[in-house]
Amino acid sequence: MTITSLAMQRRRATAGRLWKQFRSSREGMIGLAVLVVFALMALAAPLLADVRELNPVFARGQGNPQWAPPSEFGPLGTDYIRRSVWAQFVWGSRVSLFVGLAASVLTIFIGSVVGIISGFVGGKTDALLMRITEWFLVIPFLPLAIVLASILGRSVWNIIFVIGVTSWPSTARLVRSQVLTVKQRLFVDRARSLGAGGWHIVSRHILPNVSGLILANATLAVPISILTETTLSFLGLGDPSSASWGKTLEEAFVNGAMIRNAWWYFLPAGIGILIVVLAFTLIGRTLEELANPRLSRDR
Amino acid sequence: MSEPMLSVRDLEVTYHTQGGPVPALRGVNLDLERGGSLGLAGESGCGKSTLAGAILRLLPAGTEVEGQVTLDGRDVLTLNPGGLRAVRWTSGAIVFQGALHALNPVRTVGDQIAEPMLVHKTARNEKQARARTESLLERVGLPGHRADDYPHQLSGGQRQRVLIAMALACDPLLLIADEPTTALDLMVQAQVLALLSELKEERDLTLMFITHDLSVLTYACQRLAIMYAGRIVEEGPGWEVFEDASHPYTQGLAAAFPTIGDMSSRLAPSGLGGDPPTPGNLPEGCPFHPRCPLARAACTVEEPALRSSGHERRAACILV
Amino acid sequence: MGRKALGSALTFVFVLVFNFFLFRIVQKDPIGSLFRGRNVPQETIDNLRTAFGLDEPVLTQFFYYVRETLQGNLGISYQSRQPVWNEIVTAIPETLVLIGVSAILSALIGTVLGIAAAWRRNTWKDHTITSGTMVFYSMPDFWLGMLLLVGLAVVFPVFPVGGIVDAGSNATGVDRLLDQLHHLFLPALTLTLAYLGEYALITRSSLLDVMGEDYLVVARAKGLRDKVVRRRHAVPNALLPVVTLAAINFGFVLSGAIAVEAVYSWPGLGKATADAIRGPDLPMLQGLFLVFSAAVIFFNLVADLTYAYLDPRVEDS
Repeated sequence: MTITSLAMQRRRATAGRLWKQFRSSREGMIGLAVLVVFALMALAAPLLADVRELNPVFARGQGNPQWAPPSEFGPLGTDYIRRSVWAQFVWGSRVSLFVGLAASVLTIFIGSVVGIISGFVGGKTDALLMRITEWFLVIPFLPLAIVLASILGRSVWNIIFVIGVTSWPSTARLVRSQVLTVKQRLFVDRARSLGAGGWHIVSRHILPNVSGLILANATLAVPISILTETTLSFLGLGDPSSASWGKTLEEAFVNGAMIRNAWWYFLPAGIGILIVVLAFTLIGRTLEELANPRLSRDR
Repeated sequence: MSEPMLSVRDLEVTYHTQGGPVPALRGVNLDLERGGSLGLAGESGCGKSTLAGAILRLLPAGTEVEGQVTLDGRDVLTLNPGGLRAVRWTSGAIVFQGALHALNPVRTVGDQIAEPMLVHKTARNEKQARARTESLLERVGLPGHRADDYPHQLSGGQRQRVLIAMALACDPLLLIADEPTTALDLMVQAQVLALLSELKEERDLTLMFITHDLSVLTYACQRLAIMYAGRIVEEGPGWEVFEDASHPYTQGLAAAFPTIGDMSSRLAPSGLGGDPPTPGNLPEGCPFHPRCPLARAACTVEEPALRSSGHERRAACILV
Repeated sequence: MGRKALGSALTFVFVLVFNFFLFRIVQKDPIGSLFRGRNVPQETIDNLRTAFGLDEPVLTQFFYYVRETLQGNLGISYQSRQPVWNEIVTAIPETLVLIGVSAILSALIGTVLGIAAAWRRNTWKDHTITSGTMVFYSMPDFWLGMLLLVGLAVVFPVFPVGGIVDAGSNATGVDRLLDQLHHLFLPALTLTLAYLGEYALITRSSLLDVMGEDYLVVARAKGLRDKVVRRRHAVPNALLPVVTLAAINFGFVLSGAIAVEAVYSWPGLGKATADAIRGPDLPMLQGLFLVFSAAVIFFNLVADLTYAYLDPRVEDS
């Protein structure tokens, strides 16, 4: 058995153990189950709802009624320009989930890179990067996102970029402090004395110890990204050609759904967001506990 | 002979943890005469701190406590909450280990010393409490004005003195010192021990001194009790137990720690290998047998009871 | 303290620089945009450009920007043709009222709930509080606003649908105040519910950390009642991080209320932002961004100083 396959075996064993621990958390499993359901729904969108229903011209051509409650036009009624709300819900989940995930990936990526470099290299680089991080932390997140989105224009990729670029600082700080902790441990010194180069140390020693924290943080970053995308869309900065849940809420609001009490129009999207955000939060909190067990405390 | 200050009978304490019930004390019996001093020694996990906590019922909620603890004539375990609160600090007080965590970091030490005086009304008003606080601080060797300091502004030794002053705030009859010298350097340890000795004489205190360092106990205690795996395994007059131990565990402990001021004892070999057993996972028979140099087959079968091993001495070993 | 204030000032300078260059990228031709769609002779435009210093090098323009900003001149709104500063100044008090009321209520209620949840850890009370607040915290705040609006202003028309006073109302004095309070209720309720979760969770977490400390056992050993131990020893220590959170939050809630103000047409900075987005009214956005940033910087400083004051372990330099 070679050294590498021994390490791989050990990693697989650790992963298996972690999964078992995760499985024992009721919260975590509920979150995961919900997430799987929504992921399946998003992936199966074409099977669940006709994408043409999102097109107002098509909807008119179908003879859909306007503002129809679910009792008249199932399963979730229609909106102000006759489009199926159910179609919007199903297809909107794709956009919301995708943007949420992609934006978090970007956030975590930038944050981790900055955090690892900062923590590992130390010295002036560290000081400089931390200064920049602090400055970004001070700037209010939503106004910055709004300003950037206004300047860059309304597209899905811009939104992802904006969220990623405004949310990375807290990840960077977290990762950096973890890297510093790991750096202090003896085996990094031993690796150095064995002649290991920087990259080797980072990938073999630092990354495995930091990845747990990064994963937990990533999972908790998704809700923030989803909520931000929702808010930005609600304010009119969303991609006009996409059908995210935030967009649905914006259109509902702007076209008077509330005055009409068209609950079937603005309730589903909001509930969808609520459930998905809760699911990610539950999973994230469970992962956090696993990465940083606090033995003396019950949650 | 007057009745003992403290009398413990068949005390059993079981913690309820996430991993199941953990028996921390498995039947402890001891008596402490008024004005006497008892040293309680053992490694971590033996139950000595649990015993201290049990006497004033300070164990975490949900802990099972059975048996009898009589303090100054009252059965502590059956007192109602009001009675219990009245007894705390006035009949018995604890000097905790002086790490930064035993003192509230956001209140002055003077406040914390005066607090029980005002709660139990042993001081008429705040001014009197303050005056008493300052005199207590001076008695333990700190200037009175340090009452306005916060805990983080004091050194480890100074904090320990504050804890002693605090324990004396309501003139208790029984003083339990729980590891008061641990984490202090040797010079300060000696000072604290001397202080406790003096205070005991001055105020005619009954003293229970808990530690894992046997040599410290011989200095201040008339009697010594050694604990292992939730029970007392040896008991007797201080110097006798230390110099001429009956139980193999005590022999090992005594050899492991140098006596303060005695340079030759530092050179003697230490006697104890291995680790004490975890409370939930005790060996069959005598819990010490895996580490005992004198163990024999019979030791794995039955746990020996305390039996007489000399004049006013007891030990729980079949070799006695 | 001086050092902290200096740090904040430096951060503000950074924000100014950032703000300037950010909008520089977009505002390629401010004068042209100003007269978009209008028939103005080229000469006038050129003259205006010179007057505004727009043919100067970028660095000079930056200095103009800083000078003007510090004098309170933030430009002219594209949409209203009014000075941005005026629009902002009118909107600030409305937002402050809304944020102030919500922040205080959510901090108070949230902290109380957090303490109750921690003290009765793992009981049904704890689980209800924790889950309940988590649910509110997980929904978009403006959506909660929409729900409350429909519930309490449309279905059961107890409260008005928006604005700060009834349209066309001539009420003055106490009547006017009551009308404003009537309009304030729903948006304040929305923000309070949305933010109390954070306070509850942090307070609970902090108190749980404190509850493991030895000095609480010591306090009980001294004969204190449970309630007194909690009140005098546990809670003050637990509240330290919460106070910091409250102060910092105040700065961020200011900008967090943007969407909620939009829902209720509450005439504050948030609504101004929402309106400016639809332009896009870049001078307004630039000015608003500056104000939001300044608020966060300011409240961060307040939080730092408050914590230093409250925690005796922090050394005064």
